[in-house]
Amino acid sequence: MLEDLFSVVKERFNGEKPLDEKTEKTEKTKKTDIPKGLLFKCPRCRNVTFEEDFQKNGKVCPHCNYHSRLTARERLDITVDKGSFEEFDKDMISKNPIDFPGYEEKQQALREKTGLKDAVLTGTALIRGEKIVIIVMDSNFMMASMGSVVGEKITRAIEYATANRLPVIAFTASGGARMQEGIVSLMQMAKTSGAVARHNEAGLLYIAVMTDPTTGGVTASFASLGDIIIAEPKVLIGFAGRRVIEGTIRQKLPDDFQSAEFMLENGFVDMIVERKKMRRVIAHLLKLHKQPEEVTGNE
Amino acid sequence: MFKKVLIANRGEIAVRIIRACRELGIHTVAVYSTADKNALHAQIADEAVCIGPAPSKDSYLNMRAIISACEITGADAIHPGFGFLSENPSFARMCEKCGITFIGPRAQSIEMLGDKAQAKETMKEAGVPVIMGSDGAISNIHAAHTLANDLGYPVLVKASAGGGGRGIRIVKSDDELEAQMTAAKQEALACFGNDEVYIEKFIENPKHIEIQILADNYGDVIYLGERDCSMQRRNQKVLEEAPSPAPFMTEELRERMGKAACTAAKVCGYRNAGTIEFLVDKNGNFYFMEMNTRIQVEHPITEAVTGIDLVKQQLLIAAGERLSIKQEDVKLTGHAIECRINAENPLLDFRPSPGKIKSLFIPGGFGIRVDTAVYQGYEISPYYDSMIGKLITYGRTREEAIAKMTWALSEFIVEGVSTNVDFQLKLIRRPEFLAGDYDNGFLNRTDILEDERSKN
Repeated sequence: MLEDLFSVVKERFNGEKPLDEKTEKTEKTKKTDIPKGLLFKCPRCRNVTFEEDFQKNGKVCPHCNYHSRLTARERLDITVDKGSFEEFDKDMISKNPIDFPGYEEKQQALREKTGLKDAVLTGTALIRGEKIVIIVMDSNFMMASMGSVVGEKITRAIEYATANRLPVIAFTASGGARMQEGIVSLMQMAKTSGAVARHNEAGLLYIAVMTDPTTGGVTASFASLGDIIIAEPKVLIGFAGRRVIEGTIRQKLPDDFQSAEFMLENGFVDMIVERKKMRRVIAHLLKLHKQPEEVTGNE
Repeated sequence: MFKKVLIANRGEIAVRIIRACRELGIHTVAVYSTADKNALHAQIADEAVCIGPAPSKDSYLNMRAIISACEITGADAIHPGFGFLSENPSFARMCEKCGITFIGPRAQSIEMLGDKAQAKETMKEAGVPVIMGSDGAISNIHAAHTLANDLGYPVLVKASAGGGGRGIRIVKSDDELEAQMTAAKQEALACFGNDEVYIEKFIENPKHIEIQILADNYGDVIYLGERDCSMQRRNQKVLEEAPSPAPFMTEELRERMGKAACTAAKVCGYRNAGTIEFLVDKNGNFYFMEMNTRIQVEHPITEAVTGIDLVKQQLLIAAGERLSIKQEDVKLTGHAIECRINAENPLLDFRPSPGKIKSLFIPGGFGIRVDTAVYQGYEISPYYDSMIGKLITYGRTREEAIAKMTWALSEFIVEGVSTNVDFQLKLIRRPEFLAGDYDNGFLNRTDILEDERSKN
């Protein structure tokens, strides 16, 4: 009854020329123009946030705490001491080993778009004064797939750390091996793993931080070899994709399959750390694992 | 002029805005939460869009849903009313970016005036009197002693992040300063997570008197007299009147306050309707408190004494029209009083009393105005404020306005929920009110319902 109580009001007001509800509703007086880049739509929970608020929140969805992807530069900015990053192998670029059509052009276009030479930045840096070797992958460059350059830069960085007795911090993100380089990219898995093994034999600390998404050949090599494996909340971690696995084993997978939380529960990840606490946690771990000066100094 | 305006609010103010739009031939879009399906504003607007579930944060504070409603209906402007998103600079900025006219000031003005310290600083520079005190937070006890002695006791120690009367200490002499500052810091830390405090001159028994202004997009600003809102219970306004009955109020003081208010509006490039709140001491010295960047609940009393429809003016200004009223055209005649009628139980510490209105009679007559969104059978939701409506009376003199109010309150019948009608009636019969001699602390010191309580 209440719904109809006031229907007469509009009827009376509109008088002899009753407004055609339909024309009324479709008659847009002006097109509302929601500009691009104003809103961020979370790929996990599908809620919308103002881009400005999302940026202020460190690119973390305020609704579901999904830690969205950062560029390698953004990651360095929030992780290492200001101005302390010294880059290795700045100009290393890839050949086209299997003559994959369009590979050179694709790389060139991405170099211009992202300002990166390939999908990883390596170098030395300080975290609260502690010197480390840092590896940061950038998913904006061919989904940070691992080809010869990515593998080589990572291997050389780890070897530098071994030679100079430094800890390694690797922020991983990758779609897997780079198919445009065929078998060459698969070899990077063994090469990077070997470098990690020698670093490990030297008794040095390696912390892997898995960020969104860490999958394929990177998960299956150096990303999973950390002495300590950290993940950001809600990120995707896996080897093959969900549909591939479901198709192969003919079973439905759990909803949270391949989430950081699922990986933690099943022992593939040691801890989940929020972005705003990451620098503090890494600094703390570095301090705990610091080798006494006299032992290393007097050999 | 706009073709279609979306009203991002509910209750009587949404209805008030829809009525102004009707007069101007503007189509209206109401937005409502699932709890407000039967609400009057959703019923009488040309279109109504549901924007989410009952809790305000999911509906009336849901910017994304409101902008989407605007996009779907093609409204070209949003009137935010008061409360909710009306003083949210992000929302105003979002409207600006989406090409929707926000009926109110620009986002940057809201932002600047929302920051109390910055607003005070700006006003001080522009020569608008502000309450003297420490410029920003103070932590050094020696500096505090020096400053307090310069200002002269009593002084107030206030939490920088404070509000709602919490984290405030009155210090009467030098020897209690240190202890009170420590206590204020602890309270501030506990309440607001920030232990910064500042010191300012304590104004004894001040009155809250505010000036209504209108500013167009071309730099013209006029003031429309004052409203005396000193009748407050725990910082909530209960009754307002225009003009102020304070013994110190003169034509000359009104003009000085009005001009200060216009200066305040001009320095921040203010547009649309706004209110500058002043604290006034018993000698008529006035100090800038803050500026409200929206239409206010008590705007009808200014409308009554000036004859100017403020909401219509808001729409005209936002549509880019020049102010057609000049300062010399503004003439204050007669006296207006507003009583806020709430669904609450004054005997149970004014606890809200939501529920279904079983019977309702709304008074009327010459000089009587009731702005409300309730009707018989309407259910007052526990999700939102408990206002039933505003009863405004207008007379040639204050006595006439009070006489009309006394009768109108007596006629006001609401059954099904508790109301403060009897409380208001007792209040306007108090000798202090009749004498026009009350300050901001009156209702906190005086138990209006004392006799009622002793009866039970």
